[in-house]
Amino acid sequence: MNKQPGVRGMGADRKLIVLAGAGLVGIVVSWIVSGGERFWANWILWFLFLLTIGLGSLFIVALEHVVGARWSIPLRRVPERLSSLVLIVAPIALLALLSLDSLYSWTSPEALANPIIAGKRPWLNVPFFIARVIACLLLWGLAWWILVRGSIKQDKTRDARFNLRARRFAPLFMIIFGITITIVAFDWISSMEPEWYSDIFGVYIFAGTFLAGLAATTLALLYLQSRGRLKDITRDHMYNLGGFLFAFTVFWSYIGFAQYMLMWYANIPEEVFWYQERIEGAWGPILLGLAVFHFLVPFFLLIPRDAKRDPRFLFWTAAIMLFSHWLDLYWMIFPVLDLGPLFGLPEISFSILFVSAALLWIRFSMTRGADMPAGDPLLSEGLEFRL
Amino acid sequence: MSDRKIFSVVGIFDSAQHLMNAIPDIRKRVNAPLEAYTPYPVEGLDKLLGHRKSPVGGMVLVMGIIGALSALGFELWTSGRDYPQVTAGKPLFSWEAFVPIMFEVTVLFAAFTAGLGMLLLLNRLPMFRHPMLRSSSLPLVTRDRFALAVEARGAEIDVEKITRLLQEFGAKSVEVVEEPAPAGVASPKFFLRTLTAIGIVCILAGFITYWTMKLFPIVKPMVHMLDQPRLNPQSPSRYFSDGSGMRMPVSGTVARGSVPYTIRNQELAGDLVNPLYRTETVLRQGRQAYMNNCSVCHGVLGDGKTSLTKAYGAKPANLVSQSIAGLPDGKLYHVIVAGKNAMASYSAELGEDERWATVHYLRVLQRAANARDEDIPK
Ligand code: HEC
Repeated sequence: MNKQPGVRGMGADRKLIVLAGAGLVGIVVSWIVSGGERFWANWILWFLFLLTIGLGSLFIVALEHVVGARWSIPLRRVPERLSSLVLIVAPIALLALLSLDSLYSWTSPEALANPIIAGKRPWLNVPFFIARVIACLLLWGLAWWILVRGSIKQDKTRDARFNLRARRFAPLFMIIFGITITIVAFDWISSMEPEWYSDIFGVYIFAGTFLAGLAATTLALLYLQSRGRLKDITRDHMYNLGGFLFAFTVFWSYIGFAQYMLMWYANIPEEVFWYQERIEGAWGPILLGLAVFHFLVPFFLLIPRDAKRDPRFLFWTAAIMLFSHWLDLYWMIFPVLDLGPLFGLPEISFSILFVSAALLWIRFSMTRGADMPAGDPLLSEGLEFRL
Repeated sequence: MSDRKIFSVVGIFDSAQHLMNAIPDIRKRVNAPLEAYTPYPVEGLDKLLGHRKSPVGGMVLVMGIIGALSALGFELWTSGRDYPQVTAGKPLFSWEAFVPIMFEVTVLFAAFTAGLGMLLLLNRLPMFRHPMLRSSSLPLVTRDRFALAVEARGAEIDVEKITRLLQEFGAKSVEVVEEPAPAGVASPKFFLRTLTAIGIVCILAGFITYWTMKLFPIVKPMVHMLDQPRLNPQSPSRYFSDGSGMRMPVSGTVARGSVPYTIRNQELAGDLVNPLYRTETVLRQGRQAYMNNCSVCHGVLGDGKTSLTKAYGAKPANLVSQSIAGLPDGKLYHVIVAGKNAMASYSAELGEDERWATVHYLRVLQRAANARDEDIPK
């Protein structure tokens, strides 16, 4: 094999392993120092962060097959590789089930005294919850197997039948995705406050998920390009990615604001308390930061045509958006602890551990298959894409 | 050659490549705007022709921001100042409620700017017949040829020189296209002017309607909201079995925030203590409540002299008299809650705080009626 520039320097891997080890020690210490509840809140936060990136990437891949897009074929391998995150989150999700006792108040027998929670019993009970988690993981694994592994195999076989199979499966995946992402939203996030209920919450999480997948794809693509790989991807391809980022940052804000405004207007105690907890005190500035960095900044940065075509500019905008997505999850999950916004040893060690582990996994996944779906018969058409 | 103005000189090329090759050379030698006509979009042509970046994007951004701000301003003014109306107990200036309309108006302004700006400003529409449409070159372009036009745009151009150049750089044939004969009355300008006039009339009509309704409130152009089928207070209803449109509270319940008042007798109410301090806000609130509810009968000064008195029959008490000034706060409060003889209870109109604030205000009126010299501000 001829050595491409920037292919897997072992040095970087070793550094990441050391960092992950340090993070691991950090989270063990933080369990001892600050207790289980905060530990599990961090765990869920990072589980969902990685899951949404992986699932968002898988959605991008499936979307291409559903609509028969050609322009994105040359860069499809990037979200394909990123989507392997849905595999590695499986053990994280299973371990996260241990948090049910401490973070999810509906699991306690006393919760049944509350008629609202009692009414949700058919959905919110531990056996069914676990069944849903496992079903979701299996479905994502299946989708990954069909869409991504099939595509990687096509590199060698050059068998065009894969395209037909993917095209037939992708619409089905859209349905699976719609249902499972709603389950993720309702089960893992919204059931932390089991009295609360919002119809649109699944859509809100979907918006964040798609955006996370797009931002991660953009970051990975531009990083690989800076390393001399994927040279054939032009600024026109980037422009399209930038356009997607722009569109879906607006979509996220639209949904987020719609949810907020309806609850604010109706002002019903059972609904509005969720926002009250997340606006009062130091959470207010964080919500404001979300409005600024999840919407205003990317929105205005991405308006000019040239901004969407400039790799450096796009890289930093995507980085801001990925960070804002993390902040969004943090803002939804951490108020459950009732301790105000925290960022101390546990949060830092979790960040170090999960970021370095995820980077290791992504670096490993970046070695799988060719950098572009070389076996896809439509690849050359995608390469010719011009605005 | 006729004496009509020249619109452009058009060279016909055999292929996109020929066309693209010729453009840089011709641009170097001729100082006039160039335009190309091709049977399909040709990559990179814009750049070669030296067309400037379209200003539509900038226009849309600016107009979008103007749209957002004008919607915000309009909402602040209509629902906060001009016709302040509390909706669902929210503050008058609630930005949350304004956002959807700001969003819509932003999109409206931006979309209209993009559409109309492109058509009217950049494409110079309405134009009934583009000069090229009558040329013999365009039919060729719609088949398989490529045309390059050197445009005059009102200026003089050297037709001979340009013809020579076009031929020199590969044009197979050259045609001189003339401006069309000036149109009659129904010219594009006429249409634009009519449209502008209609727009101005609409805006004027809006302002005139607004001011008429404001200055002569008797004119009611829209009464749909008044005419709707609904239950007015004290109106009968066939829907409820007792035939009454007004409902009693469910027995055994108390409205949110209200404390039941159990004192039956004015004499027993004397011990109640006014829980409010006499701050400026409280007195202001008291005056508002008094003006809205009591002044029709008791008069703005509280002396009981109003034009209503005669028609009303009963004589409202003089609230600034010595005897009433001598009553403790609690007894005055009791009258507001329970009413007295011909005076009805005001417990439905006034909340707990408002009643006590009104009592404070009655003291103000009493003091004012018996003002001493030192009360007069210097
Ligand atoms: C519909 C006319 C009317 C309105 C409106 C009205 N009152 Fe009266 N009020 C009367 C009449 C009539 C009396 C005399 C009752 C009697 O003693 O027979 C009276 C008496 C009183 C008295 C004297 C009670 C006493 O102990 O002698 C007070 C105090 C009073 N009103 C306060 C108020 C206040 C405060 C309001 C506003 C919330 C108000 N009134 C609104 C008609 C009115």
